[in-house]
Amino acid sequence: MKIAYRHLVQHIEESPSIENISNKLFQLGHEHEIDGDILDMEFTPNRGDCLSINGLLRDLAAFYTVDLHQEVCTEKLNELQLDFENLSENICPKISFLKLEIDQVPETYKNSLDNYFTDLSLNKNNFFTDVSNYLSYETGQPTHCYDANTMSGKLLFHEIKKNEEFETLLDKKITLTGKNSVFSLNDNVINLAGVVGGKSTSCSNNTKTVIVECAYFQPEAIIGKSVKYDIQSEASHKFERGVDPDCHDKVLSRFINLVSDHANIKDMSIISYKSKDNLIHQIPVNVKKINQIIGINISEKEYLNLLSKLGFVVEEGFIKVPSFRSDIKTQNDLAEEVARVIGYDNISTSKISIPNNERINHKAIENKLRFFLLDNGFYEVINSPFVNLSSEEAIKVDNPLDSNREYLRTNLTNSLVDNLLFNERRQKESVKLFEISDVYLSSNGINKKRKLSIIASGRVGENYKDFSKKINKKYLAILFQEILPNKVFDFKIISRELLDTKIKNEIVSLEIDIDKFPDDILRYEETSSPPDTFNEYRPISDLPSSIKDISYSVKDFSKIKELTNLLLTYQSDIVKNVFIFDYFKNEKTEEIKIGFRFVFQSKISTLTASEIDVIYNEIITKSLGIQGITIPGMKKNV
Amino acid sequence: MPEHNDISPPELIADKGSLHPINHMKDSIMELLTSFGFETVDGPEIETEEFNFDMLNIKKSHPARQMHDTFYVENKSNLLRTHTSPVQIRGMLEKKPPLAFISGGKVYRKDDDATHLPMFHQVEGIYVNQNVSFAQLKDLIYKIIFSLFGDGVELRFRPSYFPFTEPSAEVDILSKEGKWLEILGCGLVNPVVLENCNIDSTKYSGLAFGLGIERIAMLKHGVTDIREFYKSNLDFLSQFK
Repeated sequence: MKIAYRHLVQHIEESPSIENISNKLFQLGHEHEIDGDILDMEFTPNRGDCLSINGLLRDLAAFYTVDLHQEVCTEKLNELQLDFENLSENICPKISFLKLEIDQVPETYKNSLDNYFTDLSLNKNNFFTDVSNYLSYETGQPTHCYDANTMSGKLLFHEIKKNEEFETLLDKKITLTGKNSVFSLNDNVINLAGVVGGKSTSCSNNTKTVIVECAYFQPEAIIGKSVKYDIQSEASHKFERGVDPDCHDKVLSRFINLVSDHANIKDMSIISYKSKDNLIHQIPVNVKKINQIIGINISEKEYLNLLSKLGFVVEEGFIKVPSFRSDIKTQNDLAEEVARVIGYDNISTSKISIPNNERINHKAIENKLRFFLLDNGFYEVINSPFVNLSSEEAIKVDNPLDSNREYLRTNLTNSLVDNLLFNERRQKESVKLFEISDVYLSSNGINKKRKLSIIASGRVGENYKDFSKKINKKYLAILFQEILPNKVFDFKIISRELLDTKIKNEIVSLEIDIDKFPDDILRYEETSSPPDTFNEYRPISDLPSSIKDISYSVKDFSKIKELTNLLLTYQSDIVKNVFIFDYFKNEKTEEIKIGFRFVFQSKISTLTASEIDVIYNEIITKSLGIQGITIPGMKKNV
Repeated sequence: MPEHNDISPPELIADKGSLHPINHMKDSIMELLTSFGFETVDGPEIETEEFNFDMLNIKKSHPARQMHDTFYVENKSNLLRTHTSPVQIRGMLEKKPPLAFISGGKVYRKDDDATHLPMFHQVEGIYVNQNVSFAQLKDLIYKIIFSLFGDGVELRFRPSYFPFTEPSAEVDILSKEGKWLEILGCGLVNPVVLENCNIDSTKYSGLAFGLGIERIAMLKHGVTDIREFYKSNLDFLSQFK
């Protein structure tokens, strides 16, 4: 909600700056951003009472001298003759109608009405709707204006449960479905209560006689309607959060006053319906409890003085909660009021000492498995549980994000297959992944299983011992046999036939319930450990990479270290990775063959062959500068 | 020919994998809280409305219950938990105070855009004892934040609203760039919630807090797009060894 600074400050005696008000609003828990002289407010859902100039001023009165006086009509009004019946008093226990007839529609606005549209750069609609909108901004109470000339017949407020077409005053046609609270005129819906009025009875620039409806609706009856019908409605935003049930007389008197500032009123009359009085909530004065909750020590006098600034009244040992504060019910609620005004940051800390509980590691086995897999080059992944595949055991989501995410997955492996293909498409030659997660199945109720799934394909590793080895069932079987020699695992080969890939490497997987792992695994001594620090992330490139291999022959063994140091630490913006993929010492020829793989990738653009060659040639030139190093098949001066 | 036949082969660099950065962050936070005295409890991701909402004082009319905010399953008989708080409810029903629980794991909300995902992770904690105060809550939060972001970090408490805590607060830290960043929500356990768990609220009070793991991981690692965590891209994952 946007609120102009000057609309607030004109009611505050101390004339604080916008920064000063901003600080106080943050202290009170009212988040906002400042845009010039406008405060763009975001209120918590329990503070519907703040959605207005007056509401914010009531809270700021904790810090400033606030004058909430606004001119109202004090004239006694005739009773309005209206054929109205309220069939749902439980939803709308209080409603008033005001009828006004003016002699001429004003062409220009003045005073606060004009300031409202000018300062907030708002578009005008028609006179009565503009007054209604301003009044909602000033008081927080939405009102609805009907053109009185369209309102002949029986007016009903009721909850309906039938499909009905309805055209809003915003020219949007909607079909009402399910339960809806509406106003009907002669059996036709003319207003979706608390959300939006209908086109057929809306005011226009020619409207001279208006019927203003001012109501309290139970928030439960309004919540969700604007989202359901995709209607942007400031009124529903307020009704959903609860408005002041006791403000109708003042709001309508103010309506008359604003109209009379702009036009001669020829006739006015009013009628109110009330099925029950709003009960004033009372809480016993108990400053000891307040001090205990917050952990402070204020006197009863300070406490009550603070509450009185916020509109609370103290009588006979009880605190009477003002009608606009429907969120205050308990001592804890009052404690929050006190803490807000003192300022959360001004409350001193009090040392906490939590008795030590027995530390039980419920996840010892799965944690051991995680580190065993880390030791062997596997990366942990986390996947979304939402899938489009149905199976007999799959749990269906009633309200999925889309049809591709209608079910909860019944296994982890399918997600890992997607992860594997994703990485293969990014030219990864070795992919080893695992995931540990709960899986939920629908069979005789909802059953939870905690599972481990692993998947692997391609090269065993990038180092020169593993580079030429390919991952297969045997590789995984040997890995697991080392830690659990007595357990047989059911490794699966996943066919690539139905997968969108041209790569032929075998895909091996295993999916197993965590509780099927024997405790023996706890004897495994991992070499991996969690990182000591939280590494700074370097943005990754999605552009294609290129590979260049260089194989050297080294006769002077003393130069090996110099060569590996030069190449493994080679710095270039486009060299993403370097590793030794081949190493062989030929005792007969007294020669070492060593192969380096360079992976080139740019973060800016797809690399051209010539861009790669510039760096590649630089690498070759520098490496061949080392005595006793040759590249078989390549002359040194190339 | 130089005599260097005893030359050793190049060091074999072990191809080790890495923990997922979100799980690592969650584990680190839970380890920290365990060292403060909290006991770890676990619970299901598929919950009932009773445990996810009713017991936590979230009224039937609360917007969070709407179909556009919560995933319901099996003809609305159950839902995907929207927070890890139901685990603490189960814990409070099982044990008597004093008690101190933490729970961490996946939670689900019907959001999917550049800054929100339908699945994310939380760690939440609760401590119930006699005379637990807001001032003590502040002490605990300072300890948590200083442990996570260093003793020098500037933080502020803002009043907020959660149905299950009263008073409620959100805590921000000041970034290096001078911006306040929301880190966690906390408050004193609403006495209604204690009573729902058969705990005498005239005798006991409690504090509760919750941290969004992705948000903290993004800050600690400098990741700007939350979706990066869930692409399973090896170029991304390999940075967190």
